[in-house]
Amino acid sequence: MRCEELKEKAADYLAGELDEESLTQFRGHLADCPQCREEMEGLSMIWTKLGVLPKEQPSPALRSRFYDMLESYKRGIQKEPESRGFGRTVSQWLAGLIPRKPAFQMGLALVLVAAGLGGGLLLGLRPRSAARSEVAGLKGEVDEMRRIVAISLLRQASPSERLMGVSWSARIDRPGEEIIAALFETLNGDPNVNVRLAAADALYLFHDHPRVKKGLIDSLARQTSPLVQLSVINLLVEIRERRAVEALETLMRDKRLNPKVKKRAELGLVQLS
Amino acid sequence: MKTVIRLAGILILLWAAGLADDAQENQADHAVVSFSNPAKPGMVEVDISQGSITVRGYEGKDVIIDARWRERVLTREEKEDEEQAVAALAEAEEQVDQQELARKKAQAEKAKGMKKLEVESMGLSVEEEENVIQVSAEEGKRAVDLTIQVPYSASLRLSCSDDERGITVEGVSGEIEVESSDGPIVLINVSGPVVADSSDGEIKAVFGKVTPGKPMSFSAMDGDIDITLPADVKASLKMKTDEGQIFTDFDIRLTPSQQKKEEDERKEGGGYRVAFEKATLGLINGGGVEIQLTTSEGNIYVRKAM
Repeated sequence: MRCEELKEKAADYLAGELDEESLTQFRGHLADCPQCREEMEGLSMIWTKLGVLPKEQPSPALRSRFYDMLESYKRGIQKEPESRGFGRTVSQWLAGLIPRKPAFQMGLALVLVAAGLGGGLLLGLRPRSAARSEVAGLKGEVDEMRRIVAISLLRQASPSERLMGVSWSARIDRPGEEIIAALFETLNGDPNVNVRLAAADALYLFHDHPRVKKGLIDSLARQTSPLVQLSVINLLVEIRERRAVEALETLMRDKRLNPKVKKRAELGLVQLS
Repeated sequence: MKTVIRLAGILILLWAAGLADDAQENQADHAVVSFSNPAKPGMVEVDISQGSITVRGYEGKDVIIDARWRERVLTREEKEDEEQAVAALAEAEEQVDQQELARKKAQAEKAKGMKKLEVESMGLSVEEEENVIQVSAEEGKRAVDLTIQVPYSASLRLSCSDDERGITVEGVSGEIEVESSDGPIVLINVSGPVVADSSDGEIKAVFGKVTPGKPMSFSAMDGDIDITLPADVKASLKMKTDEGQIFTDFDIRLTPSQQKKEEDERKEGGGYRVAFEKATLGLINGGGVEIQLTTSEGNIYVRKAM
């Protein structure tokens, strides 16, 4: 078998449609010719990848849009016969781009099929989300999406990603218990001071939520970083949380307390009483 | 359980004291460690209690560690501790032997399936697992100055709890998480997301470029925060300082803070107005990557790169 013949049969080979004799010849040539082997490896990789692409059903909207497009294209052709000259040049130019070897042609076709499938997938999604924007429950859906993103980001090993998680949480209009709990978990347990500071700020935005005030008071006893302690005291004073007085007094009894934090706590007591 | 910890502590104390007697002044250690998957960017974690850390990016695949041990004289307190430890040890020697054995067994179990890269003498430990190289110094009586060369793309997680010389990073493009209790943090020619915290020292960071979409954060208790960003950076800054001021040569557009609430109420009796420092939000070139700058006492400097 020659290289040209192999390339002609490549598609049948991948589809498993070669007969016994051709298959033996095909494999024999592959064993001898490193060039063809390399080419086949590339092709079969694309083939496998195509196999795992999810089967996407085009939405009805896509279908009707496609027919609309086809219809207007037909009309356009009938209306403007003079543009054919240009069309021919374009097709000649396109022909120049397409490789002459059949195997490469097939590879290109496969890539285009993959691109088409991907594009179809995107097109299929778009009208759905567009329709959603008209629904009154949009806010809830956006919140839901932000919640999922925020929760997953807050669990990352990278502090930058956890910061992003805090910032996604802060954008939620009506945070549920899960987000509030996750932010407190971050405020009280994150190993990084910067992430804890960001969580305190985000929780401040939700201070109307019944759990937040109490949570901030409880958190005061758990903070070890002076900077976070200062930040939590500032927030408690700002929301005029009188119940924080006891927590501030307890904090001030700690002998290891940073002197600046102590000063701030003293001032806070005056401001809250 | 408490006794186990205490006795282990005594052992380390004695062992370190012995080392201090034997060791040469400024003894140096050297180690070259490679990542298990050099094709992927690796992570280098360094955690020391006393000493300084200097990390430089270089064109290579391995991590090169040089450690220089500082001479240190025992303080009177430490000498007393040591004497007490000797007395306590004499009493509890037998018990210690057994517990030490159990501890070693437990440790061997913990490290199952991992390779331990032993670095000679002095108690510097270097381990590699799944592209993460961990460097730590045994808590002893001597401080160590570490100089580490890493591939440009490496990520860093550096922590130094007790030293005025602090942490320096130069020419590394991966993500950097750095924490220093006493010393300054200096980052030069970095680009990855940086999250830095210094309790007593200042933070200085010069960015060659800024990775878009990756939030950054800098916090300091007493020190200044001084960052230099490329002139064309798109950034959204959130700046907070309790007692310091903010300086910049960027054309920053200030936006009203989300958290801003007017404080007009006068307190009974006191008669002063309650005022709080709130976050100042500023956009550079229309806004972009989120950068949070928090300091209690220090100033904030946001510089435009030349």
